[in-house]
Amino acid sequence: MPGRELTLTDIIAKTAKWLILVFFLIMTFVPIVWLIISSFKTNLELQTDPFSLPAVWQFQNYVDAIQVSGLPRLFVNSIIVSSLSTVLNVIITSMAAFAFSREKFRFQNTMLNMILAGVLVPIIALMVPYFKIITGVGLYDRLWGLVITYAAINLPISLFLIYGFMRTIPKELEEASIIDGCSFQQRFSRVVLPLSKLGLVTAGTFVFLFSWNEFIYALLLTSSMRARTLQLGIRFFKSQFITNYTSMYAAITLAIIPSIAVYIFFHERIIKGLTSGALKG
Amino acid sequence: MAGRKLNKHWKGILLFLLPVIVLYGLFFVYPLGFVFTVSLTKWNGVSAMKFIGFKNFIDNFGNQNFQLAVRNNFLWAFALGVVQITLAATVAMILARRPKGWRVLRTVYFLPNVISKVAIAMLWLAIYNAEFGALNAFLDMIGLSGWTHNWLGEIETALPAVMFQEVVYIGYFMIIILAGTMSVPESYYEAAQIDGANVWQQERYITIPMIRSILVTAMTLAVAFGLRHFEATFLMTNGGPANSTTVMGLILYKALAALDYGHANATGATLIIVGAIIIAAIRRFLSSRDAVAESKQ
Amino acid sequence: MRSRFLIVLAAIVALVLVPSFVFASGQQQGGGGEIVINWPSIWVGQDAKAPAIDALVEEFNQANEGKIKVVVEPNPDYDGYRDKINAAIAAGQVPDIFIFNPDPTTFQYYEGDLLMDFTKDLNGAWGKQFVPGTIKGATKNGVTKSIPFEVGVTPIWYNQDLFDKAGIKEFPKTFDQFWKDADRLKAAGIVPASQMTGGSNAWTSMLWYSHILASIGGQDVWDKPLTDPQYVEAARIMQRMFQEYTTKDAVGADAGVSGGHYLAGRTAMFINGPWYIGRIRDEAPEVYKATKLTPAPQVKGGKYGAQIAFPLSNLAAASTDDPARRAAVVKFLKWLTKPENVAKISESAGSLFAIKYEVDRTNIDPLQLQFIDALNNASFAVSHFQANFPVDVTAELGQGFGAMALGRMTPEEFVKQLQAVANN
Repeated sequence: MPGRELTLTDIIAKTAKWLILVFFLIMTFVPIVWLIISSFKTNLELQTDPFSLPAVWQFQNYVDAIQVSGLPRLFVNSIIVSSLSTVLNVIITSMAAFAFSREKFRFQNTMLNMILAGVLVPIIALMVPYFKIITGVGLYDRLWGLVITYAAINLPISLFLIYGFMRTIPKELEEASIIDGCSFQQRFSRVVLPLSKLGLVTAGTFVFLFSWNEFIYALLLTSSMRARTLQLGIRFFKSQFITNYTSMYAAITLAIIPSIAVYIFFHERIIKGLTSGALKG
Repeated sequence: MAGRKLNKHWKGILLFLLPVIVLYGLFFVYPLGFVFTVSLTKWNGVSAMKFIGFKNFIDNFGNQNFQLAVRNNFLWAFALGVVQITLAATVAMILARRPKGWRVLRTVYFLPNVISKVAIAMLWLAIYNAEFGALNAFLDMIGLSGWTHNWLGEIETALPAVMFQEVVYIGYFMIIILAGTMSVPESYYEAAQIDGANVWQQERYITIPMIRSILVTAMTLAVAFGLRHFEATFLMTNGGPANSTTVMGLILYKALAALDYGHANATGATLIIVGAIIIAAIRRFLSSRDAVAESKQ
Repeated sequence: MRSRFLIVLAAIVALVLVPSFVFASGQQQGGGGEIVINWPSIWVGQDAKAPAIDALVEEFNQANEGKIKVVVEPNPDYDGYRDKINAAIAAGQVPDIFIFNPDPTTFQYYEGDLLMDFTKDLNGAWGKQFVPGTIKGATKNGVTKSIPFEVGVTPIWYNQDLFDKAGIKEFPKTFDQFWKDADRLKAAGIVPASQMTGGSNAWTSMLWYSHILASIGGQDVWDKPLTDPQYVEAARIMQRMFQEYTTKDAVGADAGVSGGHYLAGRTAMFINGPWYIGRIRDEAPEVYKATKLTPAPQVKGGKYGAQIAFPLSNLAAASTDDPARRAAVVKFLKWLTKPENVAKISESAGSLFAIKYEVDRTNIDPLQLQFIDALNNASFAVSHFQANFPVDVTAELGQGFGAMALGRMTPEEFVKQLQAVANN
């Protein structure tokens, strides 16, 4: 690096930088490590000494977790529901965001603000209406019921994110494409959509995680293994008075491993795609 | 609207808006109608609804617990919108410089978001426990026994304790901001370096202005999360000790459990309205001009 | 290019709407007029009663094959279950059969025409199978719209080994003696009692509060409104318990922590019901062997020997105009409440029931036997606080105990707070 000598400010900056990175590294690893170690303990050990190594490694917890709660099937359901709801949500919100951000039309701002206000709605207040809707259209205890519900719940947030990113795309690029003869849809698919990748990924990640971790509506809108998701399987280890934490942690750990694998696989590719075209000179 | 031309792409616009409008209508407009209607009634879910006007709202506003909840929600909005975003942005800007292992770190920092919130809450419950928790054990070990507390059971420490474990997991926002920094051209930094600018100056005068829009977006979202915060508090303190950590989401939940749909929905309606005002204010004051807005005038 | 997007849009619409019409499931009628009864239940999974109940459902379905089928919908998470039932009822879709925890809030389900009315059915032989008083407990305004099923009995538990260690020979019979013994325990390095303020009802501590109130107020304790001084007097004792005689993490603790301390041998006293027998037997065998059950100490001027016994889970059913369906539901409920069947569940799970059944004293878990004897030997039995107050008042107990423990609230203010919530 050309130019200056190392100043005091630089040294402080460097130390601060590494301290911060290490701090967050610890914060990140502690839960994962703790979870895994705890999953090998007995419940009593967990209550009395949650931060020691197990006296005897209880592999039985894992056997229980697999056999008893039907994890593999629930995992597949979670993948299906999360993926489909994400795709559905991102497609339709990017289309709407395009219309809102690149065009002018009547009631535009009113509609936009109404939809964005939806970000604040506390969804636990909506249990009764959602129950009526889903049972009304016959989607109770169906994966599709959850797919549509999750896609719909996250419309405001996705619209907010994608609209926010789309707005920053310069008009000149589109004007150039109009001169080239692009139609309305082509402007969307060829120009704006590729440039909004960051917005799409941001929104998509959020919707996916939401669908993956959601519990209340997964419980409310399903009744059997054919539509139930991973979060329900994990709660399986609770009963009215007693929670079998260690087996629950075993189940969570089992669920995390493929989750992390999927995340690393997809996210790496997505980020690569995001950043490869982004560096302009 | 005489004199205003119909947008020539109106068919395309309609087509593109239709799915969102239909789904939103079904899953938001109708249910919110339910929420606002029921907020004006006394209802237990079983017998008929009884219209009582704004009494539920008045009850709420006069209730000390509710006032405490509103205050706490504002604190949460600040904790997430300001503190968490600052941390996330800081880490993002550090990683944007591509230090050693930055790719691994980028992936690792996001991992806690992939784990269910329940597991994280359980962990921190164990860390904060006064009898066998790791935090107190650690303080004892380094000779600061006077600093041990019943973290989740003392009024002064409970709210900060719950906030800490939420704020510290910056993964989601960090990824967004990081990707935003990727679009700042390398050449800008090189030029600044030659001019003698140090790291702080580079970040302040180059990076931050260029990612301003993303920062505002992230911040607005974080504020919304703070206003609708519920889960961690429910799992860790259930509003205690002595209702000091209560939030509007929790009041709503408890009212539902007590079959008090009137107050529950009034709380929900209040949250939405207050939140909408705050978000609108943020967007108005912080939003930078953007390409299309300029052409809208 | 326009067509490509029309196709995409059409695909999305199809994706969304077609499945709903193709797979729409209406009211379930199984093949050939079979009556299907949906039972969302919490007695599944890790609940101790699950295996026995599963077996009973299976047996019933086999005996009624082709005519009646009971389908259990597993709902292990209790809070989630309660939310779901409430939402379903408010949406006008009462489940065919469901379970609920009886208290003034849930008895509102009786209003209107939602639940099946069992008043007449219980007038005959069926009603006689129930322990006296339990059906009355499920009757409001002369109408019985639920079946009492599982009951809870929650005596005070204490660890004899720890008491021996502190030199205490027998459990104190008065509170004056109790404080002295508690000091002895502390001197021996043992925390006297588990307490908690967490969860939706501060369970352990709510039960202590109930025991103390029972001693002060006697058999009619719950007839007295919150303005009665008994609530303040009992609260004063609770404040002392929290401030001097419990673990450091009691404020903010949930049931897992409270029970964990007892199982780990850290606290000498605890309160819970027979459902906990399995856990303590499996996880803490030494404590299991040393556990004895007892009534609470007598408050000065109060009564001695009361036990807290309460309806834990009642069964309710959706009302229906279809006589065949009604008969099927009643048939199943009669099957579940058959004394031999209840005995099976009790034996395998340790739970106690509102139905009279033969107890084989020679072949029963010794701790469960202690529960039965505790109830039989009680001078009188009353229910707990939770069964007598709406859900939000009970929820306030934990917050109030915490406030008193921290010295932020006096016992008088504590009760005033309860009154404020009750009047809301």
